[in-house]
Amino acid sequence: MAKIEKKLPFWQREGFTPFILLLPAILVLVLVVLLPLLFSLYTSFTGYRLIRPDSLYNFVGFRNYERIFTDWDFWVAFGRTVLFLTIALNLEFLFGLGIALLINRITWGQRTLRTIMMFPMMFSPILVGYQFKFIFNDNIGVLNNALQSLGLSDGAIPWLVDKHLAMGSIIVAEVWMSTSIFAILLLAGLFAMPRDPLEAAKVDGCNPWQVFRHITLPFLMPFAFIAMTIRSLDVARAYDIVDVMTGGGPAGRTELLWTMIARVGYDNSRMGQANAMAYVSILLSIAFTYYFFRKLIAARRYMGGAN
Amino acid sequence: MTKAGIKLLAAATALPLLMAGAVSAEEIDYGNFDGYTLRVKLIGGAQYEPLYAEIEKWEEMTGAKVDVLSRKNHFELDREIKQDIAAGTLDWCVGSNHTSFAPQYGTIYIDLNGVIPEATLAEFQELALANSTVDGRLVQLPRHSDISNLYYKKSLYADQGNKDRFKEKHGYDLAPPETWDQFKDQAIFFANAPEFFGTQYVGKDEAITGRFYELLIAEGGQLFDENWNPTFNSEAGVRAVQWFKDLYDAKAVPAGVLNYLWDDTGLGFASGTVALNLDWAGWASFFNDPANSKVAGDIGLVRAPVGSGGKRSGWSGSHTFSITETCDNKEAAASFISFLTSHERQMIEARKGLLPTRAKVWDEAIAEFDGAGNEFMVTVFETYSQSMAEDAFTPPLIAPWIEVSNEIWPRLQAAILGEKSPQEALDEAAESAREVMEDAGYL
Repeated sequence: MAKIEKKLPFWQREGFTPFILLLPAILVLVLVVLLPLLFSLYTSFTGYRLIRPDSLYNFVGFRNYERIFTDWDFWVAFGRTVLFLTIALNLEFLFGLGIALLINRITWGQRTLRTIMMFPMMFSPILVGYQFKFIFNDNIGVLNNALQSLGLSDGAIPWLVDKHLAMGSIIVAEVWMSTSIFAILLLAGLFAMPRDPLEAAKVDGCNPWQVFRHITLPFLMPFAFIAMTIRSLDVARAYDIVDVMTGGGPAGRTELLWTMIARVGYDNSRMGQANAMAYVSILLSIAFTYYFFRKLIAARRYMGGAN
Repeated sequence: MTKAGIKLLAAATALPLLMAGAVSAEEIDYGNFDGYTLRVKLIGGAQYEPLYAEIEKWEEMTGAKVDVLSRKNHFELDREIKQDIAAGTLDWCVGSNHTSFAPQYGTIYIDLNGVIPEATLAEFQELALANSTVDGRLVQLPRHSDISNLYYKKSLYADQGNKDRFKEKHGYDLAPPETWDQFKDQAIFFANAPEFFGTQYVGKDEAITGRFYELLIAEGGQLFDENWNPTFNSEAGVRAVQWFKDLYDAKAVPAGVLNYLWDDTGLGFASGTVALNLDWAGWASFFNDPANSKVAGDIGLVRAPVGSGGKRSGWSGSHTFSITETCDNKEAAASFISFLTSHERQMIEARKGLLPTRAKVWDEAIAEFDGAGNEFMVTVFETYSQSMAEDAFTPPLIAPWIEVSNEIWPRLQAAILGEKSPQEALDEAAESAREVMEDAGYL
């Protein structure tokens, strides 16, 4: 028997079977993810310019990274992206939680409402950008006209120009578009929630706030952290809405990492430097993902789930 | 027969005559490319489309088919072409191009000298061809040109009350501005934010860099010295930036202008809430069409103003067509771009107000407007023909132009918003522009 087994070619041996079964997936991942990643990592060490393909072999070492680390504008954009991410995610969580709790309470027309709630997700971010660009236009925009008609303002408020309002306006657009992702995930959490602890708490005399604070919310937190992980990756690479609404301007007031990277990579054709920036910005996404996963594990442990 | 009846009859007989003229001139042989499919990438947008309706005719004449691979605005097309260069997928033949963008693309496009017959080239304006030439190679055939002149709302200048108050305030008579200083005075004078604005300007991207550039030249400055050292942080440069800032601070322009591009300024003037508008001729027929515009019938036009350096602003460029070096049938491609820039095709664009690049089309277009009693378009063409002949200049035709522009415009915005002084902003921009020029091998 042992002799026959020895004669089997290596790929027919039992130990290899899992690898062979996984091979198609591994090949696809290598081709579609790993190779492009390695290629872009390599280009970040070159002076690669899109319009000069031969510059791909122009190795410049850490020059691109040195430039980034001494570029104040880049770090301002980096900080602004972190701030944008933090505010947008928190607002989306709060509004999403509110909507989920409200929808969970109604018994008639819930399905219709759930569908309507998801409408903003169905629009392309570019369209959402144009829609809010029009709403916030200082001269012909709906918002300023409404404020003036109601007598709440007598001047044209420069929503997309002012230092604080411009970023705020973009956050409003982002929150409008994506709050329903939180709402839908939290609603799924509410549906899956066991009734017993809630009823037990009521019997024990807890008021609605105490029930929410100590039973509903901890139960929902794992769902919230999953939503936050997904959304943090989305928001960290926010580009479409910002590009349409302000293009990162004026005077760089709404410049986020990806509007900057796109300009450097495409308009200025400096793909090498843009890739270096992208690699630095990926650290941000990894940091957020790691943070939310830690929180997720902690929340599940608190609920007595798997660790 | 009534007078109107006679006019109608005359017009009805003139139309077939004109068409007969077009048919006879169409006897140019565009060749036979039966069964060939020409792959092209064209600039899209309302003003560019009427020309593309003509493509069918070329297909009929030559037996070829045209496959339009993309039809995007120029900034998006630019990105796509750069990706094609990087990926080595220049598997198409004809692309829309622009004089400001062409130098970036290196040698992906062929030299049209020798490909387009000399006799044909001789019919184009010399300046337009010179601006289409990069490193001695004619890399593009100009389709139509672009320069800005100053539109104004006529009734404001006829109003006696306005005249009196203006004279009292500024000490000179109210008349359409001849200098950039007068332009500023009047824009501030007419403004009454947020209902009415003195003027508007494009506030971002290469658009505001271009406006700054032409004002810099008019003020007697230069972007670079002869050795390509950035010199725009000069006194003239500061005066140019100050012009934008003064209007912004006086609320003579909407607060949102820093996000405005060409559509915003054009539609703003058409909405009747703006007194003065420096813009290209492509808007002329739109502005004067009551269906689109509240200022129709109330528009005056003067040449772009003179700066303190004694020069008129005249930032100019041309939309063009180029043929790729990798094209598999350059003959068909040459036939196609000759067709799109032919006399008849340029007349089609001229009727919409786009500025032709063939000398003869100017005359014929003016004669046609005149014949139709369209005085406004006659004025438009005469004014623009003068500024194209006397004032036009392009940005430096160098590969890093767009990159230099990307260093300049965010700083202009910062100066206009008061985050930096004009001098600081320009110094910073000049330093970054120097780095770009160094990287590109100019310094």
